[in-house]
Amino acid sequence: MNLRLRGKLDQLFTAATGLSVVLLMLVLVAILGPMLYRGSNAVFFQGTVEFRKMQRDLFRRVDDTTLNAEIAETEQFRRRVYAMIEEFRKGVDVEAMSSQVRDIHRSFGEELRAKNVPADSYTQLRGLTRDIRDNLQAAFAKQDVNEIRPLLDEVLQHAENPAFEGTSAEQFFEIARGFLATAEKVDLSHQQEYAAALREVESILFHTQDLPGLLGPRPEEPQPLLVMLRYGATRWDQAQQLLDRFSWVEEWVQDKPGEPLVMRRTPRATLFPETLQPLFPYVEENAGQMLRPKFTAYWQFFLDDNVNGHYFGGVGPEILGTLFITVVGMLFVIPLGIVSAAYLVECAPDGQVIRIIRMAINTLAGVPSIVFGLFGLAFFVLFLFPLLGFEPKPCILAASMTLAVLTLPVMIRASEEAIRAVPRSYKEGALALGSSRFHTFMTVTLPAALPGILTGVILSLSRIAGETAPILFTGAVSMGDVPKSVFDPTRTLSYGSYDMAVGDRLAMMVPHNQYGMVVTLVLLILILNAVAIVLRTRVFRKLRGQ
Amino acid sequence: MNSAEVNLTLEPAADTPRPLVLTPGEDLRGYLLAHLGRAVLFLMTFSSVLAVLLILLFVIVRSLGFLSGYSIVEFLAGRDWRPTADSPVFGSLAIIVGSLYVSFAALVFAVPVGILAAVFLSDILSWQARNIVKPVVEILAAIPSVAYGFFAVLVLAPWMQKHLGLSTGTNALNASLILAVMALPTIISVAEDSISAIGRELREASYSCGATRMETMIKVVIPAAHSGIIAAVVLGMMRAIGETMVVWMASGNATQIPHPWWDVSQSIRTMTATIAGEMGESPEGSEHRGALFAIGVLLLILTFSLNIVSEYFLSRAKKATGKA
Repeated sequence: MNLRLRGKLDQLFTAATGLSVVLLMLVLVAILGPMLYRGSNAVFFQGTVEFRKMQRDLFRRVDDTTLNAEIAETEQFRRRVYAMIEEFRKGVDVEAMSSQVRDIHRSFGEELRAKNVPADSYTQLRGLTRDIRDNLQAAFAKQDVNEIRPLLDEVLQHAENPAFEGTSAEQFFEIARGFLATAEKVDLSHQQEYAAALREVESILFHTQDLPGLLGPRPEEPQPLLVMLRYGATRWDQAQQLLDRFSWVEEWVQDKPGEPLVMRRTPRATLFPETLQPLFPYVEENAGQMLRPKFTAYWQFFLDDNVNGHYFGGVGPEILGTLFITVVGMLFVIPLGIVSAAYLVECAPDGQVIRIIRMAINTLAGVPSIVFGLFGLAFFVLFLFPLLGFEPKPCILAASMTLAVLTLPVMIRASEEAIRAVPRSYKEGALALGSSRFHTFMTVTLPAALPGILTGVILSLSRIAGETAPILFTGAVSMGDVPKSVFDPTRTLSYGSYDMAVGDRLAMMVPHNQYGMVVTLVLLILILNAVAIVLRTRVFRKLRGQ
Repeated sequence: MNSAEVNLTLEPAADTPRPLVLTPGEDLRGYLLAHLGRAVLFLMTFSSVLAVLLILLFVIVRSLGFLSGYSIVEFLAGRDWRPTADSPVFGSLAIIVGSLYVSFAALVFAVPVGILAAVFLSDILSWQARNIVKPVVEILAAIPSVAYGFFAVLVLAPWMQKHLGLSTGTNALNASLILAVMALPTIISVAEDSISAIGRELREASYSCGATRMETMIKVVIPAAHSGIIAAVVLGMMRAIGETMVVWMASGNATQIPHPWWDVSQSIRTMTATIAGEMGESPEGSEHRGALFAIGVLLLILTFSLNIVSEYFLSRAKKATGKA
């Protein structure tokens, strides 16, 4: 082969190997990058006044006086929005007006009875208001201004009647005037469309049956039962999405038959007549004033319980549950792991038994994690617990023991390596001074190997904290109270991450909390691993360097 | 131990010299203690063996009820898996094929990259630079599988749907790409160990014959290290077959054998995902639960045999380098 060609091929090969490592790094960045970036949004974000309200109500941690002042300032800007919408609704929402008119008629009758008016004038006034009510309702049903005007004029001629002064009947005339004004300005043939479009606007600005809106419920509204509906957009990024939905209508339309659908955005303002037009620029310009976004470091994310399926709040119980399972698991795995390693290194009797044990350890390391879950369910939960008189249900103890079995090989291998790395001379020195083998191991070998063993401990810790499949049936739940004992099941970060990733629409609406959960888990494990790596390099340098 | 304590224990010895020979009682006690201690240590060490035996025992026992009542041929060769139908059918062929399918697809991605990266780490990179690259591999290994699954569902799947024009983002391709990333650390570290274990002599002999680095690696070092590299691939395969969360979240969970066979954009379902997904819904003691445990037995058989293969190649690799 030509020498130059060989040289080129060689360079190509080197480049390919280098590229594969670069690819590896890129993959790592591609996986961790977006996760860390979006996860950090759970803690650092632009929080609005609604966020502070929520923090005050649910977690009692915001200063009340400053917050009240802030709320009052935002209310000033919001009031115009409420007023504009109320004003517009008057002319458009005929159903609401009809029922309002009915209510006025009824309450006027009650007022008359309460005042003890004489029977004949009672009948006369009731007859009058009945006529007014019927005229108004007839006017609401019409769509042509020329038909509406005479009906309303007839109603309004009673406006000066002294009998109505100071009673609820005065509202009749207010409504009549408002409706007349609307009828003159607005084309009432589109009434139905306006009412539907208005409902949509209201659902974006306030809330729907199950989704929160931009500003939260109006002050006079009764508090919604669902906690998440009680607050508007708590985060500025959410607010901007809602503002976008508020200003633009998105439609998927087909231009020509056979072509794929394309999205078309039209300004929402075009759906409304001129009377409501000022609302749109007003909300867009004053959104900042109405919500007051402010940079927030929500470090309590790591402490708080969640509200309404992770819509608000943090991952406190999940962290607690993960730590709980990990600590209980370590209680089993640390003694077993160190003793096994010590036995394998120090006692090492005939070869056959050791070989079987080693094979078992290797086999154990290769068992799929989901099979550990099956084993944990079949052995710990359904066999061992009834035998010991515990209730056979998934719980922390079962999950911890299952994970302890799973991580035993990691622990044994790391400890074995650590104990083997202790120089022979240490041990021989101790033995030469007359100490027994057990004494030597406890006072010389073990302390020297301890940092290395600690590496193994940390690695198994991170393994236990991250595993999901084995605890699916042995102790993890997606909802529930904070566990009180090891016999309760618990929420964990790992299972929570799964649950939020494949979760319902609600979880998809709060990507910051989705990513926040998984990032908490990943960070916890990466920190543990970083500590293990640093510890290991230092220990080996020390043991070799001396 | 401080000096005061030492003095305390030594003082009586100064007055009445202790006999050098132990009394029979002391002798016996020491003997018993040593052996008892050893027995206890041995029992604790034996817990690993016990764990393996218990896992085998309990998973098999739980599946016996199903396996004795259902035709094994139908279980292994049937393609229909309808556990909740009125007359349930438990044919796991599509599921077994699904597991093998994603694992092999993952290896197709992971093996070339893994071996090249192992060569780069062992023969090309300097010692200092290695200490920077190695942690990258370790971090990839440390990231929990549920985080990989999270990435697959929420980042990779929408991306695939948008940019590759696939009907669904959760499919065999998605699952096997992620599995490849998860298998890579295993493959790289085992392959790198075996490549570095091939001594300098072979390399220097090759270089002195005028071979380039590529020729040395491909024609001398990798063939010499083939046992270890095969073991690395088998271990990577084990990792991919046993993985649960990623395939459950990313594979789409449709019980079907891809047709045509090379169409990786179809959804499939694996053994591990079937167990994870259906265990919670199967009533205790039902045929369905038995069938899931039977799949667990299949998984165990599969991983045990892969384990034996990898042990065989690892021991061969050890022997080969021992001789050289």
